[in-house]
Amino acid sequence: MPQCLIDDRKVEFTPGENLIEVAKKVGVEIPFFCYHPALTVVAQCRMCAVEVGMPGKDGTVQMMGKLQTACSTPPAEGMVVKTKTEKVLKNQKSVMEFLLINHPLDCPICDKSGECDLQDNSFRHGDSYMRYTEERRTYLDLDMGPVIKKNMNRCIHCTRCIRFGTEVAGIREMVAVQRGNNTEITTIDGRPLETDYAGNYADICPTGSLTLKNFRFRKRAWFLKKTPSVCEGCSRGCNIELHQDGNVVHRTLPRTNMEINKYWLCDEGRFNSDYVNDADRVVTPSLPGASGLAAVGWEQALGAARASLEGKALSVLVGSDLTQEEASNLKTFLGKQFPKASVFHYGTKGIKTAADDAAADKILKRKSRTSNLHGLEKLGYQGFTGLPAGTEAVLLFRGGRAELPDLSQARHVVGVGVFMKQDAAAFHAVLPGPSWAEKDGTIVNFEGREQKIRRSILPVGQSKNLSEILMLWANQGGKTGVA
Amino acid sequence: MLIKNKTGFFQRFYLVEILKGLAITKKHFLKNLFGKTVTIQYPEERRQYSDRFRGMHYIKATNGVENCTACMLCPTVCPAECIHIVAGERPDKEKYPVKFEIDVLRCCFCGMCEEACPKDAIKLSTIYEMSVAQRTVYTKDYLLEQRGNK
Repeated sequence: MPQCLIDDRKVEFTPGENLIEVAKKVGVEIPFFCYHPALTVVAQCRMCAVEVGMPGKDGTVQMMGKLQTACSTPPAEGMVVKTKTEKVLKNQKSVMEFLLINHPLDCPICDKSGECDLQDNSFRHGDSYMRYTEERRTYLDLDMGPVIKKNMNRCIHCTRCIRFGTEVAGIREMVAVQRGNNTEITTIDGRPLETDYAGNYADICPTGSLTLKNFRFRKRAWFLKKTPSVCEGCSRGCNIELHQDGNVVHRTLPRTNMEINKYWLCDEGRFNSDYVNDADRVVTPSLPGASGLAAVGWEQALGAARASLEGKALSVLVGSDLTQEEASNLKTFLGKQFPKASVFHYGTKGIKTAADDAAADKILKRKSRTSNLHGLEKLGYQGFTGLPAGTEAVLLFRGGRAELPDLSQARHVVGVGVFMKQDAAAFHAVLPGPSWAEKDGTIVNFEGREQKIRRSILPVGQSKNLSEILMLWANQGGKTGVA
Repeated sequence: MLIKNKTGFFQRFYLVEILKGLAITKKHFLKNLFGKTVTIQYPEERRQYSDRFRGMHYIKATNGVENCTACMLCPTVCPAECIHIVAGERPDKEKYPVKFEIDVLRCCFCGMCEEACPKDAIKLSTIYEMSVAQRTVYTKDYLLEQRGNK
């Protein structure tokens, strides 16, 4: 492999690799704003400029007269790169000062603060004072739809968002209008964003000019505790990071996995976690009362659930958003407790088996809106096509994401898992279980890839883990059973 | 380690020692009766405290609008974790505290919040009479009463 010399350190590289990435391999951090590994290189911000030299015919290294941007300079055999010389540092300082001329420095009220590239690079490479005393450039703000809040004053014109739209999301909706000092990044004709991947605009923006409306002023970034997990939005299984504080999931960010989702996450997956701490979620064991569901103790709810299923023709519906561990536990439980019941998995309307699952768009989304459809098929669960004739009672398991099928035929319904109050209004008993943010487990994506989901928060309210619920169920009334 | 104090004859005689002790008491008695006293008649009389004394909190307001922008630097720096802020948005202010609560029994009056504040909003006044009958949480309305002298 060819070698080059970065800050007197020898690095091997494969031709075509980016110099910023090559430098990273030996621990040399070159600061940048406009470069992103998944997007084309434009070399606009000039922050990554370094000194580059090539050996001449006689072997002596001749440094180039001007600084070269590291993102657009392909590394070559014998190349000498210097990133810490006086010239380079002076350039970085100047670029920082230039970018901050019009930046409002409203970090105290900016949601990006704490994870902002501009803030970090200003701290590491910039000066703590500025010479600019004139009035700053300001723009009128534009509403960009329900996902993104735009604040053009904070923009540094890196054009990452424009490139993301055309190259990844496949839609040319962000553009730069005007030129020079008046450049404005906007949508064409000021229309709201259309792409289903709009949340990524906020992720790739190196400043706070594009932020999530959903997360606006909810928490400062440094208060959030991060848990690596896997998205349960569809059968793709994108890698995500759940950010929680005080047992509340505040947001979901994509986690880089080059084999599945690269750097991206769709909006559905990004805002999926909102139901976890929803006020309408049933988080206490409940029985129907005079006005809707009434909270009762676990013992009472279990007793009522057991009684309403006793000796009836039973169908068990298992949501394909349960983990492999839960589904496998459940199989043992059902075999011992309800050997005659017919068991199905359900999840998305119109998707009966794994064979129905297909790509829903050209980027990430899959048709199956539950995460573990392919895993449940593997465990031998049958797809749900309709309640068998003569079904009197239904035992329903749900992880929080599966679409509830039509159950009007069944007279008794017992729900175990995550339900919203309006969905569970007609149920005979609700035993609250954990959502995917509250449990550990394995899910299998459409390729058969097994991935671990990690618990981010404790079970909300009085909800219990499914294995615990099954154990309580099996051991109730002095009978000893095995869950 | 066992320490044995050696006592002499006069000390073991005690009468002399008692008289010595009485003399000290009498000296202070006369000093307080005719000389300058150390104590004051609180609350009629009050002592002058330094302007830098850190007492009861308040949020500074300019033209009736709180200076605070809910940047959360004070709960970040607070070692006692006694400040709880919920941020929101309203037409005249992009970010403001919807809820600003100080659990004052947890507060250790270190003044770090005052130092961290970029907007000169949270302040510690020189008021030190803060005793109450029940556990108190200072709400935003209470903190916005301008009781400060800074």
